[in-house]
Amino acid sequence: MSEIVKDALCPFCGCLCDDIVLEVEDNHIISVNNACTLGEHKFLESGGERALKGPMRREGSGWKPISYEEAIEETAEILLAADRPLLYGWSGTYTEAQGAGIMLAEDLGAIVDSTTSVCHGPSILAIQEVGHPGCTLGQVKNRADVVIYWGSNPQEGHPRHLSRYTTYCDGYFLDNAAHDRTVIVVDVRKSATATLADHFIQIKPGGDYAVLSAMRAILAGREDVIPSKVAGVTREELIKIVNICKNARFGSLFFGVGLTMSQGKYKNVRNAIEFVDDLNRSTKFTLTPMRGHYNVYGFNEVCTWMTGYPYAVDLSRGIAFYNPGETTAVDVLARKECDACLVIASDPGAHFPSASVGHLAEIPTVLIDPVPNLTTPLCRLQIPVAVTGVDVGGTAYRMDGVPLSMKKVIDRGYPTDEELINAIRKRVEEVKGI
Amino acid sequence: MKVSINVNPRKNPYLPVEAEGILPANFVSGSPEIMVWEGNKERHLSDLATITVEGEVSEAADITLALSGETALFKRVGEYMEEGTITVEGDIGMHCGNFMSGGLIEILGNAGGWLGREMKGGSILCHGDAGVYCGSGYRGEKHGMRGGKIEILGNAGDFCAEALSGGEVIVRGSCGDMAGVEMQDGKLIIYGDCSRACGNMTGGVATIFGSVSGMLPTFRNEGEVVVDGHTLIQFTGDVANRGKGTLRVAAYTCL
Repeated sequence: MSEIVKDALCPFCGCLCDDIVLEVEDNHIISVNNACTLGEHKFLESGGERALKGPMRREGSGWKPISYEEAIEETAEILLAADRPLLYGWSGTYTEAQGAGIMLAEDLGAIVDSTTSVCHGPSILAIQEVGHPGCTLGQVKNRADVVIYWGSNPQEGHPRHLSRYTTYCDGYFLDNAAHDRTVIVVDVRKSATATLADHFIQIKPGGDYAVLSAMRAILAGREDVIPSKVAGVTREELIKIVNICKNARFGSLFFGVGLTMSQGKYKNVRNAIEFVDDLNRSTKFTLTPMRGHYNVYGFNEVCTWMTGYPYAVDLSRGIAFYNPGETTAVDVLARKECDACLVIASDPGAHFPSASVGHLAEIPTVLIDPVPNLTTPLCRLQIPVAVTGVDVGGTAYRMDGVPLSMKKVIDRGYPTDEELINAIRKRVEEVKGI
Repeated sequence: MKVSINVNPRKNPYLPVEAEGILPANFVSGSPEIMVWEGNKERHLSDLATITVEGEVSEAADITLALSGETALFKRVGEYMEEGTITVEGDIGMHCGNFMSGGLIEILGNAGGWLGREMKGGSILCHGDAGVYCGSGYRGEKHGMRGGKIEILGNAGDFCAEALSGGEVIVRGSCGDMAGVEMQDGKLIIYGDCSRACGNMTGGVATIFGSVSGMLPTFRNEGEVVVDGHTLIQFTGDVANRGKGTLRVAAYTCL
């Protein structure tokens, strides 16, 4: 006899879709409705047979199953023996577990960093310089008549973004969104999203900063200074786009890692924010980063409450120090600074540069993740846990900063991230006498 | 007085050491107990280095700290320095001369990132290369270096003189990307090349005797000027930011 769970939240991307319908039978999810392909696979894969049965330790060329108690003890030992431990990941778990993780980092004198540092970290650096003219996705849905996707391809990365909030979604002030909304895509190649756009601006790779500067100058009435072509885009085309933005009733600029991770990084985002800021002199315009993991925003919130900084926090001296480039996971690993690593709710093996991944394999690394991933071959120990949004509920933050409560759908008996981290922390505190 | 600090080889040579205690002012009383942080462990500097003190003084201005040995990962040396001299025989780690307001730091090797961050006065002379953010501000800070002089005889990394608000940064070699970005005042002189110089600048003078690649489209060409016998093209900008800075370059290419 199957049971239908309505309004479940999808633990995949920053859209954090909250209208998922799941069919559950014998403690298994057997069908997923309303989710995109990515979300459907997340529910069926991590909530399915691929999940590890229990913790495992590398022994020689193979793996040996061990108990949770042994795994907790060994993890605590590894972290306590280190002079510069790194606790990395956190974006694929709920905020309560992230909070426990920061307390563990404080006890250990560790560096704590999330996947923010390899996706929208530059956005945060830019926001710290010039602020964030943001809004909720509900505002975009109901009001935005001009939408820009810059260096972002939601059709493939956030597949329901267009249907839930922009192009295909009617809003309170837009009866016929597909017709009434003007969608502009700026990218270095004609992406899947670009094929749906009203205007597509193809810029040369690395040309984001120059194009944004030129658009700001046009907005300031200084098109006389702009050369006939900027990074492959004609001046006339830029003037046309600036006029569309200026004449918008409500505009929204969404940007992805195409902007944050191309040459210039956070200065590109700063220029985008200042472009939006300049537009606000004549209309209403907002800017939202297209966050990747479903709760990467949550980590930034939790980390800021607890340490004063949003990510890449070095707690080794008992005080919080933040300096991306110096205290970010990729850099700390590439410089071989850290001598032990706890990876949780992320997969650096799949995403980090080879120098960082190489060091991860050299030092004792513990991975907390329900399923084997590309970090598994690099680690000494893997501990499976409950999947957030499947086996455990908790709070997650959508890409626009709205906290939502995730549902527990089934119970396969795994410990939660929060329970596991607290158990490790308890052991660390016992040994350190704190 | 001369204080020699010879850092010995360490068990883990990759662990950074935070050593803001290495300051001339701390040695006025002779041989103080200076604490440093090696990773998450607090240690005595004397456990990591051999310290030799020659002579006696009553003022920090007359003290020379001579660092040698494995100093490449020693961070924050000379932070908040007001007077005296620090010489580094080899390389030095990040944040050397942070917030310094006086004295001289001379580095015979290379310097890590954030050299002379938010410096207010004094001089830094680096014979080798400097890392990223030389003479810049801290994250989110509106102003970088406000006074003093940094001279790099080698090359400097990306974001050199970011948000420069006073003083002088001279790079004899080349700089990386976005030199002088957000520059507001002061002088930036680059004898080599760089890319995308002075984005968003509002004031100050940047003189680049080499070539700028990816020249930003938002600078107004004001014609040619002669600087130290070299004919350069002078621009004002960044007009995107209604800026009134001066950028002079020998040659440039656009993206």
